[in-house]
Amino acid sequence: MSRPLWTAVFQVADVDQTQDLAVRIAQSLRAGDLLILSGGLGAGKTTFTQGLGRGLGVREGIISPTFVLARQHPNLPDGPRPGGPDLVHVDAYRLGSAEELEDIDLEETLDTSVTVVEWGRDRAEQLAASRLEIELERPRGGDETTGEIVLDFEDEDEPRTITVTAFGERWEQAPEWAVDGIAVPQEGQQ
Amino acid sequence: MNRAEPLILGIESSCDETGVGIVRGGTLLSNTVASSMDEHVRFGGVIPEIASRAHLEAIVPALDAALKEAGVTLDELDGIAVTAGPGLAGALMVGVSAAKALAVATGKPLFAINHLVAHVAVGLLAEQVFADGLPENLGALLVSGGHTEVLRVRGIQDVQMLGSTIDDAAGEAYDKTARLLGLGYPGGPVIDRLSREGDPKAIRFPRGLTQPKYMGTADEPGPHRYDWSFSGLKAAVARCVEQFEARGEEPPVADIAASFQEAVVDVVTAKAMLACKEHGITELLLGGGVAANARLRELTARRCASAGITLHVPPISLCTDNGAMVAALASRLVMDGAEPSSLDFAPDSSLPVSTVLLP
Repeated sequence: MSRPLWTAVFQVADVDQTQDLAVRIAQSLRAGDLLILSGGLGAGKTTFTQGLGRGLGVREGIISPTFVLARQHPNLPDGPRPGGPDLVHVDAYRLGSAEELEDIDLEETLDTSVTVVEWGRDRAEQLAASRLEIELERPRGGDETTGEIVLDFEDEDEPRTITVTAFGERWEQAPEWAVDGIAVPQEGQQ
Repeated sequence: MNRAEPLILGIESSCDETGVGIVRGGTLLSNTVASSMDEHVRFGGVIPEIASRAHLEAIVPALDAALKEAGVTLDELDGIAVTAGPGLAGALMVGVSAAKALAVATGKPLFAINHLVAHVAVGLLAEQVFADGLPENLGALLVSGGHTEVLRVRGIQDVQMLGSTIDDAAGEAYDKTARLLGLGYPGGPVIDRLSREGDPKAIRFPRGLTQPKYMGTADEPGPHRYDWSFSGLKAAVARCVEQFEARGEEPPVADIAASFQEAVVDVVTAKAMLACKEHGITELLLGGGVAANARLRELTARRCASAGITLHVPPISLCTDNGAMVAALASRLVMDGAEPSSLDFAPDSSLPVSTVLLP
C-alpha cells in the first residue's frame, strides 16, 4: 500500500458548496484518473459526483448507481470541456471483493474516463497506480446538540467535512484547489 | 402478419423479474412471472450478475408456461416483443438474446420495446383501465425500485418525460432506509406495514427539491420543478437514528418509518399533481412496483380527487414488471401499422421514453 502524498480537508456548509468543490476538483481531472468515494448512507457521494460531472462537462442525469452498479456519462461536445474525459460512476457497495469489481469491466473505460467508485475502499485501489480518496462525513446525529432530540429535519443545511487524500505519482504536485485544504504538508513521512 | 388481432408474445427481463406474457389483440391470454427476488435478499438489493443468471434459468420455463397457459404454439404467433431498455444491461441482454433466438428460429418479426411505455400500454388490455383506447390528456406516474418518473402521454408513440429523480429512485430510498433501520430487504413492504403503527407526524423529514430555487414558478420553472431527490431524506433518517443511539436509546422505528413514508409519498404525489395541473393532464395512470404501497395509493387517490384528476391503477400483477405489458404495447403498435425492429439492435440500458420501438 502506497503512502498518502498529501491530505486536504474542506468544510462545506451545504449541497451547493459541496458541488462547487467537486466542480473545482473536476477541472483538474483527466482521463485515467481514479477517485474512490467513502462515507455512509446519505453522506452525499452521489451529490458530490453530480458536481464532478458538471465540472467535467459530461452528460447530465448522474443518479445513484446502486441499482445498475455502473453508469457511463459521455463527455459533451458542447460542454465546458469538449473532447475531455467521460465519467464512469460505480457503486461497489454490493460487490464483495476486488475480483467482483473486475467482473464489471472497468478496465475497458479506465483510460478514456474519470472513474469514480462509491464504496470503493479496499476494493478499487488496484484499478490504477494513482488515486484520490475522498471521504464525505456528515455530522453524526446527537453529537452537536445539547442532548435535545431533534425531530425536525425539514430545512436542514447539509454541512459536510470533505477529506481528500492523494496517492501515487499523478498527484505528486498538489493541484491549486487542494492548497487551501492542506493544513500540514505531510513531507518527510518516509 | 395479422394486424387486426395480432398474437404477440412479450418478454421482460429489465430487472429481477423474468416475465413472459401473451396477448391476442387487446386480450390477455397469459402472464407468467418468475422473480429472482429471494436470491437478492441476502445481498440487500438486486445484483445484476445474479439477475442475469436467474433470467437465463427462468426464461425457457417461463416461455413454456406462458404458451401452455395461453393454449397457443410458437408457430401461431404473429410476432415476438422484448424489452430493449431502460434497465440493467446484463439482465436486458438475456431477454433480448432469447427473443432474437426465437425470432430467428421461428422466422417471426421482432419488436424491441421501451419498458416505461409498456407500463402505460398495459392499460390498453381488455377489461383494463384504457380498454377503449388511451384517454386524452393522459399522464403516468411510475414508481418502482429503479424508476420514479412522471410522463405525459399524448399517444402511445408520443410520450414525454416531465420529471424524474435526480438521485435515488423512490423504491431505492425505501430499501436504503430499511437498511438504516435494520429492517432487511426489500424495504417497501416492511416500511409500509410498520408505518401503520407509527405516527407520520412524529418527525419532520425533508421533501427534496421543493425550495423556490429548484421549483421556480409555472411561468418560469426552476431547474427541478417536477424532479425528485431522496438523498437528503436518507441523510436525515440516518441522523435521526444516530441521535437516539448516541443517547443509548432505541430509535422509534415505527415513527421513523411512518414519517419517512409520509415524506416520500407527500413529495411524490405533490410534484406529480403539479406536473399534471401545469400540463393539462386530467387522467393519471399509476404504475411500477411501489404502486402496491397502500399509503401511496391512498394519497394519490385523494389528491387526484381534489384536483379533478381521474386516477387509474391497473391490478398489481400488471403494475410490477411483466411480459404481458411488453406484448400489449407491441400488439398496439402492430395494429397501428408499425414495422418490426431489425434483428441487429442492442439493448439500451438508458433508452429514452421518446423511443417507443427500436427501428
